[in-house]
Amino acid sequence: MLKRLLLLRGAEIILLLALAAVPLLVNNTYALGLLTLLAIYGILLIGLDVTVGYLGQVNLAQAAFLGLGAYAAGLAVTTLGLGMLAALSISLLVGLLLGGLLAFPALRLDGPQFALATLSFSALSTTVLNEWESLTSGAQGLSLSRPTWLGLSMDAQGFYWLCLLMLAVVWMVMRNLLGSQWGRAFEALRDSPIATDAMGVGTFRHKVAGFALGSALGGLAGGLYAFNFQYLQPQSFTYDLMVILLLGVVLGGRKSLWGAFFGACLIVLLPNLLSNKFLFELISAAGLLLAVLAGVRAWLRKTAQPFQILAPIVAMALLVVGGLLVENTENWRKAIFALMLFSVVVGLPDGVMGYVAKLLTKLLRVPPAEIAATASLDSVLPVRQGDAAIQLELQNLQRHFGGVKAVDGISLTVRAGQVHGLIGPNGSGKSTAVNVISGLYAPSGGEIRLLGKRLPSGSLFKVAREGVSRTFQNLQLFGELTALDNVMVALKGVYRTPLPLVLLGFGRAEEQRAQAEAMALLELVGLKAQARMAAKDLTYGAQRFLEIARALARKPVLLILDEPAAGLAHPDVQVLIALIKAIHARCITVILIEHHMDVVSELCDVVTVLDGGKVIAAGVPDEVKRDPKVIKAYLGVVQEAVSPEAADGKEVPAC
Amino acid sequence: MNMQIIAQMVVSGALMGSVYALIAYGFQLTYATSKSINFGQGELVMLSAFFSLTLLNIGVPYWLMVPGGLLFGAALGLLVERAGVRLALQQKSEGWILLTIILGLLGFSSAENIWGRDDRPFPTPISSDALHVFGINITPLEISVAIGVFAIMGLVELFKRKTLLGKAFEAVSADRDAAELMGISATRTIMVSYGLSGMVAAMAGILISPITTVGPTMASALILKAFAVAVVAGLDSGFGVVLIGIVLGALESLTSFYVGSGWREAPGLVLLILALAVRPNGVFGKATIRKV
Repeated sequence: MLKRLLLLRGAEIILLLALAAVPLLVNNTYALGLLTLLAIYGILLIGLDVTVGYLGQVNLAQAAFLGLGAYAAGLAVTTLGLGMLAALSISLLVGLLLGGLLAFPALRLDGPQFALATLSFSALSTTVLNEWESLTSGAQGLSLSRPTWLGLSMDAQGFYWLCLLMLAVVWMVMRNLLGSQWGRAFEALRDSPIATDAMGVGTFRHKVAGFALGSALGGLAGGLYAFNFQYLQPQSFTYDLMVILLLGVVLGGRKSLWGAFFGACLIVLLPNLLSNKFLFELISAAGLLLAVLAGVRAWLRKTAQPFQILAPIVAMALLVVGGLLVENTENWRKAIFALMLFSVVVGLPDGVMGYVAKLLTKLLRVPPAEIAATASLDSVLPVRQGDAAIQLELQNLQRHFGGVKAVDGISLTVRAGQVHGLIGPNGSGKSTAVNVISGLYAPSGGEIRLLGKRLPSGSLFKVAREGVSRTFQNLQLFGELTALDNVMVALKGVYRTPLPLVLLGFGRAEEQRAQAEAMALLELVGLKAQARMAAKDLTYGAQRFLEIARALARKPVLLILDEPAAGLAHPDVQVLIALIKAIHARCITVILIEHHMDVVSELCDVVTVLDGGKVIAAGVPDEVKRDPKVIKAYLGVVQEAVSPEAADGKEVPAC
Repeated sequence: MNMQIIAQMVVSGALMGSVYALIAYGFQLTYATSKSINFGQGELVMLSAFFSLTLLNIGVPYWLMVPGGLLFGAALGLLVERAGVRLALQQKSEGWILLTIILGLLGFSSAENIWGRDDRPFPTPISSDALHVFGINITPLEISVAIGVFAIMGLVELFKRKTLLGKAFEAVSADRDAAELMGISATRTIMVSYGLSGMVAAMAGILISPITTVGPTMASALILKAFAVAVVAGLDSGFGVVLIGIVLGALESLTSFYVGSGWREAPGLVLLILALAVRPNGVFGKATIRKV
């Protein structure tokens, strides 16, 4: 543990000190300019990484936020006469507010629509900066002089240290944030927005917060940018810059502060690397060699498709051949970016730093972060009183899709502490019914009451907050998060530290407690040993159990299990039965949708049978199984001919 | 204010708008089969225009140049699908957004270096002498743009409805899994849709070039408006794009006349953000039901 901390923090401190010492050792204005730019781009890319890496959205507006922040700072100085600190705060706020505003409409969107919204926003902001001449002087550009910092005037060296200090602060704050529940929530909503809402985490607030935060860092970087160059033009912040920024983040490595920093180095140095022909040829040759080596390795291990191996090699070969043919590589700058980006996106999805980090972890034998000691299950899921009082009541519940009446007037009562089975043939409306209860769909009619109170309709998030938790028939895990993080992100009642304190690093104690509680739940479902594995790498059976652990992390009043045995192998089904019995023993109310009759009769206190969106039978399992209507629903026809045994008065097995 | 000037603005704007609609129609083709679009479509328009210009310059007659340009566009579309889209779709990721942006950048840089950064005129046999219709000036060239737009859209729709391959296209759009179970290769159909989309982009390039001239940046403003049209109408809206395209074109020329030519791009961008906020599936799009 100590070794890990020493190595990780040590590397950061050494980097910071080395960067801070450069101006003392070398007296070179050009180098100082590059370093200042490096610090500014570092902040900018850390902000961009929040949306591109953690939220997993293609964000094309970061260059625009840089520009808006720069103009905000510039205008604050030229027209309002503010000092540097105030101007930088304004830049930050402009980014935060505009980012939040843009995130609101962009909220409901994902994928291409989100990218398009950000693209339009950046084009629009360029238009405004260009055309609002009375304020920005338009295409002529805005000149300003660097204001004082708390009354001190600042030379190039002092300003560099200020930028570096800002980078260090941003780095620390973001490390705290991304290592907390917030960072987990960002990643969770990337992998499954539906489960994020169903676990009461809230897609809405986290998406807005993440985007606004990333944009605020863009604004701050813009303010520093303005004071660095002291001259602003709208065309500096267009689509071209955006593509370069994406290059930085993707090439450096997503979801990594070091990756963002490496990307910034690359962006700053790239023009110099490209203008020197020899250096360029060296780099492209090294790139080709790397692509070939990585390709051969992947081919031997059969870990990649032919396209993933060949495409980066072809792209890098093009770069080498092109470098030999072309006179002036500067003119081909964009094509070179494109080829490099292409190879990295296809062949090295974790980016350079992602790869290096993996390698170093192996080489230096860095131990994984320690996990807090497992809490006792009784403290996490205390045994409730099962008083069999009415807990959930459905009254004439309806849900129609066009003319299809998927749920057509269901009324039923679920009592506290019971396992209530919901069965019926395919298409009988079971899944739709629980989707309405859990808030995925708003009901077309009827009422749902939990503990006598009306449940909010049509919002997974609000229903989850009332104490209803669920699993999904088609798994909705957060694939890239570890099993532990999957449970931790859903954990209720632990995260209380307000955001500003989390940013300052005061969230660690509750993080430990969350780990301890999550481990107890993983132990309950038998996944303690796999806590560090990514959910997508678990076996299918383990994924089903992980979903149950995650649902239990909500400490639910009502737990809905949607076909938990679907696709499970026989031994796993036995484990599942034992697990549900253990949950039952804690008197947590369960609604169990299931096809396996043996599972239902072994576990359920009460069973409701649906067919055609209506309740056709209800009662204890053995009774229901003999109900002729149920047999008809499952088998299609009532047997007319009475079998000889039945005629003899012997009992016919119902199923 | 003078009604005649307004009418003139509306008509010439609407004609431009039909080209936005054509490019947006190209987005719909690929979105239908694969739920993906080519973010570098503007570069396809531009590269095809340059290629067609080169054909003209080496002496290919105009009416032979058109199919040549269209074939080139289709080939580029296929290339984009192979290099930028297929892998991401297999991985069920949204990597295609970034990859198609990257391929567009490569195309842009290549055009800059192969054909130069200057804008060049695009010769056409169609006259640009204005005709007077009800007091409005309109050139045969502008009319030819509208005719070309509807001709190519009609041809593609005919292909979709009358040929076996076209029916496969419709089947994959309606339900990819079911189509695959019936023995239709979704991968091949997506390929076809990208080829068609590239062809449509090339047509847009050939139609618009005589009016705007040909240069590396000729499509960068155009494509933003095509995005806007596609999103405002809805990426699965069918002919909704035509109506929205024409409305946007008219709105734009009115804006540049009354507010200032620098604000020309603004209505499309504002409309796009508004549409996404209010109706994410577009004015004519269908709402989808979330499934778990």
